[in-house]
Amino acid sequence: MLPPLFWPYTADWTPFTGASFLRGGGRQPCHTCDVTPPQSGNPAADETSGASHRGPMLGIGRQQWVDSWSGFKAIAPLMPGSAAFGLAFGALVPAAGINAWTGLFASVSVMAGASQISIVESIRANAPAFIAVLTALIINARFALYSAALGPVFASFPRRWKLGLAHLMTDQAAVVALHHAHEYPDPVRRRWFILGGALPFVLVWLVGTIVGILAGPIIPASWNIGFIVPLMFIAVMVPVLKKPEELVGLGVTAVVVLLSKGLPFGLNVLTGIIAGLIAGTFFAEFADARRGRRGEHQDTVAEAAEHEAGEAM
Amino acid sequence: MTVFLIFLAAAVGTYLIRVSGIALLSDPEKLPPRLRRALALVAPTALGAIIVNSLFLDEGRWRAFGAWHVAAAVAIGVALWRRSAGWAMLAGAVAFALLLVAGV
Repeated sequence: MLPPLFWPYTADWTPFTGASFLRGGGRQPCHTCDVTPPQSGNPAADETSGASHRGPMLGIGRQQWVDSWSGFKAIAPLMPGSAAFGLAFGALVPAAGINAWTGLFASVSVMAGASQISIVESIRANAPAFIAVLTALIINARFALYSAALGPVFASFPRRWKLGLAHLMTDQAAVVALHHAHEYPDPVRRRWFILGGALPFVLVWLVGTIVGILAGPIIPASWNIGFIVPLMFIAVMVPVLKKPEELVGLGVTAVVVLLSKGLPFGLNVLTGIIAGLIAGTFFAEFADARRGRRGEHQDTVAEAAEHEAGEAM
Repeated sequence: MTVFLIFLAAAVGTYLIRVSGIALLSDPEKLPPRLRRALALVAPTALGAIIVNSLFLDEGRWRAFGAWHVAAAVAIGVALWRRSAGWAMLAGAVAFALLLVAGV
């Protein structure tokens, strides 16, 4: 498909194809095309900016660059946290005697700081591999909630986009996607917005990891770099803790983690998480039933996902 | 090699979790309510477990009271007061650095 020589000023423009013409719909929404014209909603603005007369750049349409930039701007305030988190994980890698390339591989492939740190802690506790993996997967189970909430947002994307963007869905990228999805009814524009936020965020995370791996060995032990782990999690979680079921879950987790400290292989962490989840879930059912009787609002899956992402980022 | 395989297994499992709802669930409200409630509590319980474990325990033994606990208390206080992750991080880090310099 050839890119058009100029972008027509219509909100529903799609690349003109013979097939669409034969179907009698030359200008229907195209959910698989990635060269879409600028759509500021203001033809005069497009005319003034000259954007309307520019062609694709690197094979990507101008509008897609604009939407990606919007995604980048939406997630940019959260990037220092990503860099710091990556730095914290990276610094732990040499301290735990883990190969630098393996540490970098972890950040590229797992892409979830809390679980990666839990794996490092499990390795330091000489835990069996399956316990390290199981603990990490339970910590990452929260992504199932984001994934469920993002299902409708991604529903009209081509499969390769769904599979690719799924890997980039960090806590932060998920919450930005959920917050802004309604602003992009066009799925082409929506997916470029999401990619524009998620990909740079991950790159910042990777840069942080690399810097941490390189700087880790030269940071004096007296600096107690390990303190950054509880500090970071306190900073991201405490400000958004509000619901009673969260406090119940957290309280039970804390007590069980400490009471079961004698368990081998760092199993007290896993035990505490499971105990907190069970207690918190039962309390949440009780709280939801009470909210229902009072006619109070109960979170939808999307709202629950946004709230939880706020706690984890 | 074992460490690499651990991260690889975690990566594959995490990806399957990430793609599960996107690939299988067109209507998120079809998620069973109990599962939704449990998943919504993963972040506070998982992060809480890591916080408590690293703050109060050191390789399975009680951590001696000192800069870790005081700086964490400062961070929690600021987090509750300002409701801001950035301010909590900054306050906790500054408090921790000062306490270390003071030899606490």
